[in-house]
Amino acid sequence: MTIDIPALLVSAILLAGLYATMSYGLALIYGVMKIVNLAHAGVMMWAAYVAFVLIVEAGLNPFLAPLIALPVFFVLGMFIQRYFVSRVMYAPIVSSLLLLFGIWLIMQNVSYLVFTGDTRAITTTYTLMTFQVFGIAISINRLVVFCVGILALLVMRQFMGRTYMGKAIRATAQDGDASKLVGINTDRVMEVAFGLGTALAGLAGSLMALIFAFDPDFGRSHLLKSFCIVVLGGLESMVGVALGALVLAVAEALSVLWIMPALQDFVSFALLVIVLVVMPGGMVGLLAKFKKT
Amino acid sequence: MQVGELLRSWKTWISLGLIIFLLLVPFLGIGGGYLQTLGFLTFLFVTLSTAWNILGGYTGQISFGHASFYGLGAYTTSILALRGINPLMTMPLAGVIAALFGLLWGYPCLRLRGQYFAIATIGVGEATRLLMLNLDDLIKDIPLLKDALQDGVLTGGATGLMLPTPEDIGSYAMAFYYGAMGMMFAGLVVSWWVKNSKFGLGLFAINMDIDAAETVGVNTVYYKNLALMLSGFMVGISGSIYAQYMFYIDPQTVFGFPMSIGMVLMPTIGGSGTLVGPILGAVVYIVVQDRILTANIEIGTFKLSLSTLHLLVYGGLLVVIVLFEPKGILGLQKRLTRRWAKRGVEVAPPRKMA
Repeated sequence: MTIDIPALLVSAILLAGLYATMSYGLALIYGVMKIVNLAHAGVMMWAAYVAFVLIVEAGLNPFLAPLIALPVFFVLGMFIQRYFVSRVMYAPIVSSLLLLFGIWLIMQNVSYLVFTGDTRAITTTYTLMTFQVFGIAISINRLVVFCVGILALLVMRQFMGRTYMGKAIRATAQDGDASKLVGINTDRVMEVAFGLGTALAGLAGSLMALIFAFDPDFGRSHLLKSFCIVVLGGLESMVGVALGALVLAVAEALSVLWIMPALQDFVSFALLVIVLVVMPGGMVGLLAKFKKT
Repeated sequence: MQVGELLRSWKTWISLGLIIFLLLVPFLGIGGGYLQTLGFLTFLFVTLSTAWNILGGYTGQISFGHASFYGLGAYTTSILALRGINPLMTMPLAGVIAALFGLLWGYPCLRLRGQYFAIATIGVGEATRLLMLNLDDLIKDIPLLKDALQDGVLTGGATGLMLPTPEDIGSYAMAFYYGAMGMMFAGLVVSWWVKNSKFGLGLFAINMDIDAAETVGVNTVYYKNLALMLSGFMVGISGSIYAQYMFYIDPQTVFGFPMSIGMVLMPTIGGSGTLVGPILGAVVYIVVQDRILTANIEIGTFKLSLSTLHLLVYGGLLVVIVLFEPKGILGLQKRLTRRWAKRGVEVAPPRKMA
């Protein structure tokens, strides 16, 4: 079996854009609230179904669907934060973890009820289209997904750097109490941050639906990948997340050379453990660094 | 507590009556052995719940990957039994393998704190399941490892493994009823011992504030790993018993995510971090699973099989518990007693310190 390594790398880089989008949502929520959003997986799965309904049932243009998903999931995220997560903000960490886990389970069950457990896939006219650059076949589908993901991150970057709310989010991530002292409405900031994180997960999920097949159990391995990326890249910056996404995507793509495709999901986990062993501080070390800056 | 005081407490008599009833269940023949099966499952789940509680409740390290221990225990026993070894003899090995596996992933992953550890355990569960699903294909070309295959089968992939059934299934099941009961009590004794030992104090300290625990001289890495291994050992043995009782295992059942979810839910429902909580939680969980989720509702043309709602029920339970009563049933009981006490209904006078 011959494997075309340049093509593999190109598709890995294209996938990394998507990975970065979904991981940044997780990192954003963690940064501001110091909780890991387990419902992230549920959001990505729901977004995939929203895309499915919009594209297959309603016949919308595949690349418009994510734009509709974005505000919907922003509102959903704010709702979850306001009515659920905010109540356990000051409780032990375990509480928020179990709470979001419960929400994830409920989301899964709703999907099972509405869409059954069948595996779905979205096939559009774009799905199989490719074009050639220097002899490398590039899927238009993946290229557009990549561009949308990167665009979303660039918009986020501008938002975080230039608007009041973006600066307030960054301030709250650095020091919640101090932000309160200087008059930032941190409750509001947290709602917006959770909404944005959820919206990014929603965007990523609806983009993923264009590439992968999905079922109600879909988000779990992607939650794991997001987590792996966040650990790899650190929580410090969007650049870190993007780098982490790139490392994971390339590692996954190249893993095809050594291990069977069925075990590809294994890679993200193995990578996670390796990083933890090689960097003895692990996440804690990164967090300490994060707090210093 | 003094012996005399123990005899006067109504709790002692109720527990004693319950134990005698449980011992007699196989002879009562209620529901044609149904109660016996339910009892077996309850004992099994109480053990699982108690085991998870040592890591998740006492130490505060939430694991979503405990199904990996359960599956490893079940597979160890099944694989060895298919190679002619008495399954009962494999039980300690099943526990030890699960515990060693715990050390293998616990050592790197327990460096992570709190919620990050929790997510890593989702990875452990997934990775183990995937690995076991594909193990046969994976090792069939590797020189040394392929000797482990028997007719090309080690874990049997998605098909799973089938064990031969004994001839006298009735007495076999009864023996396992008592076996599981013994295992449960052993598990509870371990949990009680941990709770009242220096080891347990260390675990509680880690749960409250890991930095402070380290400062006062708790070897947190050692303690956390030990708790994980102990927990894994108990779950591994439970898995082994399950495999012997069911005669059939497959990766989706024993390594499946629902198994891990169950182990998180049970102690949380009852009240995690306590001795009695996981027992209550496991009983509630079994009743919900066995009675409510098998029910079918039919109103006119509207039909609903509740088994399609099990994730909703579990998720809803988690949300409600976390939002309203994080200490589970035990917390609820305490709150209710306090409320009654306020109303001035009969309350026992405060006990004098001896």
